[in-house]
Amino acid sequence: MKTFALVLVLVVAATMVIGIAGLPPHGDPDGPIHTHVGARYLERGVAETGVRNLVTAVLLVYRGFDTFLEVVVIFTALVAVLALPSATRRPPPARGESTAAPRRGSDDAVPVSPVVFFVVRLLAPFIAVFALASLYRGHVTPGGGFQSAAIIGAMMIALGLVFGREHAARLVPHGAKAWLQALGPLAFAIIAFVGWRLTGAFLGFPADEAAHALREAMVVVLEVAIAVGGAVILAQLFMALDAPS
Amino acid sequence: MTTLGSTLLPWLVALPLVGAALVPIVARHDARRAGGLTFAVALATTALASILVAQLASQGPFSADLGGWTAPYGIELRFDRFAAWTMPLAALFAFVIPFSWRYLDGTLPRERWAPFYALLLLNLGGLLGFSVTGDLFNLFVTMEVVSLSSYALVAVAGRGVAAWAALKYLLLGAVSSLLVLFAVGLLFALTGSLNLADVSARLAAAEPSGAALLALASLAVAFLVKAAVFPLHVWLPDAHAIAPSPVSAVLSGLVVKVGIVGLLRVLQLAAGTGIALEPLNAVLMVLGATAIVMGAFLAIFQDDIKLMLAYSTISNIGYIVLGIGLASPFALIGAFVHVFNHALIKVTLFLAAGAIIHQTGYRTLSDLHGVARRMPQTAAAMAIGAVSIVGLPPTAGFVCKWYIALGAFEADQGGYGFALVFGALFIFVYYVRMLDAFFFRAPVRPEVAAAVEAPWSMRAPVLVLAAACLVLGVLGGIPIGFVEPAVVDLLAALGR
Repeated sequence: MKTFALVLVLVVAATMVIGIAGLPPHGDPDGPIHTHVGARYLERGVAETGVRNLVTAVLLVYRGFDTFLEVVVIFTALVAVLALPSATRRPPPARGESTAAPRRGSDDAVPVSPVVFFVVRLLAPFIAVFALASLYRGHVTPGGGFQSAAIIGAMMIALGLVFGREHAARLVPHGAKAWLQALGPLAFAIIAFVGWRLTGAFLGFPADEAAHALREAMVVVLEVAIAVGGAVILAQLFMALDAPS
Repeated sequence: MTTLGSTLLPWLVALPLVGAALVPIVARHDARRAGGLTFAVALATTALASILVAQLASQGPFSADLGGWTAPYGIELRFDRFAAWTMPLAALFAFVIPFSWRYLDGTLPRERWAPFYALLLLNLGGLLGFSVTGDLFNLFVTMEVVSLSSYALVAVAGRGVAAWAALKYLLLGAVSSLLVLFAVGLLFALTGSLNLADVSARLAAAEPSGAALLALASLAVAFLVKAAVFPLHVWLPDAHAIAPSPVSAVLSGLVVKVGIVGLLRVLQLAAGTGIALEPLNAVLMVLGATAIVMGAFLAIFQDDIKLMLAYSTISNIGYIVLGIGLASPFALIGAFVHVFNHALIKVTLFLAAGAIIHQTGYRTLSDLHGVARRMPQTAAAMAIGAVSIVGLPPTAGFVCKWYIALGAFEADQGGYGFALVFGALFIFVYYVRMLDAFFFRAPVRPEVAAAVEAPWSMRAPVLVLAAACLVLGVLGGIPIGFVEPAVVDLLAALGR
């Protein structure tokens, strides 16, 4: 069986390599990827979308619907984890077990080294500022909502590891949690609706120069929603992990 | 040009997805609200889908250019007859959801209701998006929404077996998804485009290349995994049997159809490119016929009714794949009509089985002897579903299987026609076993002897669906007339 699997893997891999070898040469300026759709994005992208970072222009303006669905995928990941049995709160102590017994959990499982404690505390504000910068400059330079979400989420997870989950959980206001985690899909729906009213096309962005500020505002709303929604989801995924028993 | 259809089309996908995002918000104080909102969203989506189908019937297929960017520069949604015939799947959600209301009581703790319903709506949104998208990358993303929500819905049931079944499903599903992504990358490198129609036209204009062949083959294999075509079906039986019954209905009836719709998109993509499809068709015929017989054969040995229904899905997917492989007009029409008809029948059967399991606490044939005495309506619905899936007239299953059999002879592949009849005999055997146990045996379990019919919110969906199985049998000509132009177009594009 193992030999069969190995042979199968080799045959499939060889087929794939041969197939890939038949592709147009990598980096060839005359290749289809540089002459067809991509060429138009480069030529007219900035003028048509008003977004100076062409990656963001493709991501949010030309192919915004894909990004809407990507945000939905991230939301699906959170809902999936929350739907699973292991994600529910720890069961109340069984009868007979003393309620005063120390709770298991990350809080007191392993004492945190003072070095780690200090470094995480020291760096957290800088990480937050970096996340904001990459969000703020996202439509001009590399960066944007998704990157910012990953950075803020990582910061919240680091804080959760050091201070314990209960402390980190306070970073996400409990009452607003349900709203914040849905921020990405909801913002896309609202912008799609606004765009539809303004331009007649779902997720359309007004193209005329007069609406420049409005167009910019729509892009910023999407970026901020992706960043905040994504970060809250990442943090919640971490919080939902079962404490090691 | 904006018409009502192209204006509403994006909202068909967005509505259930946004509804899913709202479910945890609405249900944060009272979990019971989740079910109500989900039902309302499913009904609204069904209404929207009906408007779109009416638009298609009056003015022909239409597209929506998202963001106002014309294809291939933006994403195009395309509402053709194939997409339209998957729209009734949305209506099936509107039956599954009310069934879930009472079913979840005692099955799932309340704090997990909202995520459960949200996953159902995400699944619906992904399915609709997958059906209507005209863009390769969008096809991948919508497929991921469907797949991710499906994995989680399997795992919802509990730890042990459910977790393993979901993991197996996840691993095989991930391989399939990666193959799709790989193929999208190859096709983009070859054509510089992601729009399905544009990619197809550009492939046709270029010389046929090994890379294009590899891309189409990867897509075909990936979709065969998603459709659980024997022998790529190993993830299906456990996953579909262990999931909560409403989920089994959705997965077995609807989600496997992603693979079938995907296969049809591969055919549309390949049309006109000069790539010979005969080898693919030959493979599909062999796999389809094997799946019909093996699925039915394995089902005979199952004592667990849900496992039996899961194997029956493998067999029925075999019919559809055989029909596609035969590639004759009758066979393709039958195969495509069966995409929805099988969904209808399988949802009926799984919900009826779910009601029986919910009311008695037993799930094997040997424990459920005589259940029809105490639950005559549900058992009758189950019987109608069984007769439909065997393919006896005048039920929804008959029409499709008859057309596929005709198609086999039309394509001069009479042998496959016999495989089909042979498979139907097997299927007949195991459903007769089930009906015998339910109707003609004395109860062996006190819980079965004391069982009562399920509450109306569970019973009504089952009864209405069973009636629909009969109606679609009597009015079988309507769906056939509906998909026929699309099949004729596809065959013309394929040069037949």
